[in-house]
Amino acid sequence: MTTSPPRTARRPHRPHRPHLRRSAVLTSAVLTSLALLAACSGPPKGDAGEVTDVHLSASTPPARGEIDSFSWAVYAEPPTLDYTVAFDYPQNTILSNVCESLMRWTPALTTEPGLAQKASNPDPTTWVYDLRPGVRFHDGKEMTADDVVFSLGRQMDPDNAAAWAQVFQNVSAVTKSGPLQVTVKLKKPDSQFPQYMATAAGAVASQAGVEAAGKDYGTTGGLACTGPFELGTWNKGQSVELNRFDGYWGAKAKSKKAVFRVLTDPSARTNAMLSGEVDGGYLIPTESYARLRGSGSGTLYFGEGLSTVNVNVTNMEGPLGDVRVRRALSLALDRTGFVKAGLGGAGTVTNSLTTRAAWAAAPENTLKTALDGLPPTGQDIDKAKALVQEAGATGKTLTMATSSIGQDVSLLATAVQAAGTQIGLDIRLKTIAPNAFTALFTDPRAREGIDMFPLTYYDSITDPLDLLANFKTGAYMNFAGYSDPQYDQLVDQATAVYPVQQRMEIEAKLQHHACEQLLWIPVAEWPTALFQGKRITGAPTTISYMYHPWAADVGAAQ
Amino acid sequence: MSFARFAVRRVAEMAATLLAASFVVFGAMYTAPGNPASFLLAGRSASPEALASINAQYHLDDPFLTRYFHWLGDVLQGDFGRSITYRTDVSRLLADRLPVTLLLITMALVVVVAVGLLLGRTAAVRGGATDSAILVTTTFAVGTPSFVAAVLLQGLFAVQLGWFPSSGAGEGFADMLWHLALPAVALALYLIGMLARVTRSAMLEALDSEHVTVARSRGVPERQVIRRHVFRNSLGTVLTTGGLIVSTLLVCTILVETAFSIGGIGQLLELSTTTKDFPTVQAISLIIVALFMIVNLLVDLLLPLVDPRVTLGTRGAAT
Repeated sequence: MTTSPPRTARRPHRPHRPHLRRSAVLTSAVLTSLALLAACSGPPKGDAGEVTDVHLSASTPPARGEIDSFSWAVYAEPPTLDYTVAFDYPQNTILSNVCESLMRWTPALTTEPGLAQKASNPDPTTWVYDLRPGVRFHDGKEMTADDVVFSLGRQMDPDNAAAWAQVFQNVSAVTKSGPLQVTVKLKKPDSQFPQYMATAAGAVASQAGVEAAGKDYGTTGGLACTGPFELGTWNKGQSVELNRFDGYWGAKAKSKKAVFRVLTDPSARTNAMLSGEVDGGYLIPTESYARLRGSGSGTLYFGEGLSTVNVNVTNMEGPLGDVRVRRALSLALDRTGFVKAGLGGAGTVTNSLTTRAAWAAAPENTLKTALDGLPPTGQDIDKAKALVQEAGATGKTLTMATSSIGQDVSLLATAVQAAGTQIGLDIRLKTIAPNAFTALFTDPRAREGIDMFPLTYYDSITDPLDLLANFKTGAYMNFAGYSDPQYDQLVDQATAVYPVQQRMEIEAKLQHHACEQLLWIPVAEWPTALFQGKRITGAPTTISYMYHPWAADVGAAQ
Repeated sequence: MSFARFAVRRVAEMAATLLAASFVVFGAMYTAPGNPASFLLAGRSASPEALASINAQYHLDDPFLTRYFHWLGDVLQGDFGRSITYRTDVSRLLADRLPVTLLLITMALVVVVAVGLLLGRTAAVRGGATDSAILVTTTFAVGTPSFVAAVLLQGLFAVQLGWFPSSGAGEGFADMLWHLALPAVALALYLIGMLARVTRSAMLEALDSEHVTVARSRGVPERQVIRRHVFRNSLGTVLTTGGLIVSTLLVCTILVETAFSIGGIGQLLELSTTTKDFPTVQAISLIIVALFMIVNLLVDLLLPLVDPRVTLGTRGAAT
């Protein structure tokens, strides 16, 4: 718009006050700003195009030698790098190289000793961790049992509001039982706890270092941990630099420096990889797969992700309370079409809420039991229609939340809507601003009037129970308020059983219950995507980068 | 009106506006869904004790007015509180990010004023084909939202030609200027078009006026006529767009910073709104409102200097 002032006849010798015009201009200024805000909203979409012939790589080629520095894209800046609140992709991707845990997750998604040389389980409610001797923190002090007791204590302190507090719900005490030995006492047997000691929940920092940093721990100064890198310059809002720690107890990192660049905009992230401004990144926007693959500036890899894309059922008071309606929706859903468009062709349709990789520790026959005989993934519109009629839900209205945060969300919503239309359900989409979408997870008020929403869920440990426990009565993610005493009992049983084989047999039962009841509707497995520029190689392809010091393996490609 | 009276009135006006704005923002945040405590816990279930502790630490359980006055009391003592998401003092958070945003806005402002005035003046004085060409160009500029400009500039100059970095803010002054060049142009484009048009029409109006005719008939050289009479007389009108220019820059920096991944105040505001980080959103909103008001005050003070027909404090107020 233009603000051309009204033409008024003026006489130079008789000054008058053009204040009316001023306020008109001012009013329009404010209005224009508002109009602009409306006009300049919503990020532009990237280029579509799916990839074909996607295969999962176990790893990238190992590094050939050392390198001075490499840069890596992350989609958001960690608010803080305090390990007690590190519970999201960006912070864990960085922190895993600085702070180490008692146990360690491997690129093959198994668990091995970390800062603890040995974890023993003398009785069902006791875990004893024997610490590695001679481990130095970045502040030069040597690690002792006191540091471990202190570090785990911070997770359990209610005043700290640790994101990992739930892991410690069954812990009654963490005590020093020797100079290099820590004993954890449990209120009841908990098979998940020892596994979580490989995540940031089991991270160890120097007591002296954390206390010295005081309330600024995690945001300014060092992190006083033991990893192959220490925190360097943190240019707020821009980048986080890690410097190689020469006093590291294990194999020295291959790069002297790792620079994590914060690139919030998906196309900015892709452009930076194409132009070589950054050397690589995880969590590639699906719409960029094809572009990066054909670019010649590097290689796009896919690996095991422990992530599934689901339709999360949030309301069982309405038509979705009838399992026949849920089944009908599942039968009418075009999963193949969604994987092509929504996941850029990289993904596999699934009828299982849990990923195949999550069952890695299960024996062959248990795996078969768990994944066989689940409801089919293929479309059967006639059967679905009949089910809707049988349930008396024909013509009923359902509301699905959607948002422009990514094609995995927006295109799944339209796929569900299309499925509904074909079987006599009227599915309305409710578009939610990207920043309000997160509130769906955290605020019941945000879920009012919504029957379902797209949800990508990843496991933090290689155990299907991580996801299946969500349907227990009163569980945090149990948005629909599902409650079945039998199911709850099985969850408790599985939690209490340490031997993997026995536990996974129980979990297979849970899996069948959840998948047959369609407590969420499973859609696809979504692998991890990783881009490496031509200069570097060595990063893991699996989601292990969340809790494994992966940057230490990245070095020169030539 | 005396300057002292004017100053006192304006400061009181500003304080009242800031207070109203802070109340509105606080209220809006309060009524939107989502609870900062749950964002803090990253969507994990928390023990009742932990929740109670967070609620106590950040006064999240207090009634709305109690919370608001609590916050207000702290701010009057110069304490903007602690960011809930970033777990650090808001003042530190802002100090870390404000320089980038101020540099970006300043760069855009310089470009807007230099190019906008030049184009408007050229169009008015030259007329004819030059005028038409400038009109067409500015129409295009005015019709391009800043985020579209950002994407176009990024695609052409950063990705295709590789002359500029596609994202980030750089380190060190020279590097920052280089990094912020494209974002500043993206931010400035719309305003260049707008300012050029305002300048053009104001100058055309001045060119029509009697005293220009008189000056020309007295044989005053044309360049002097343009500079002394035409340009100067139109400056008042141009100045009045100052508020619009600054408010647009402040609003659109949110989008441009996001498009170019420049972690400044704009992006911080967007993220803090997402996570309902009350203290941070409040502080940034206040800064934006205050900046807007300071600019308007400056315009009011400058106006009588460039346009003798305007007297102090007569801008839209009952006098």
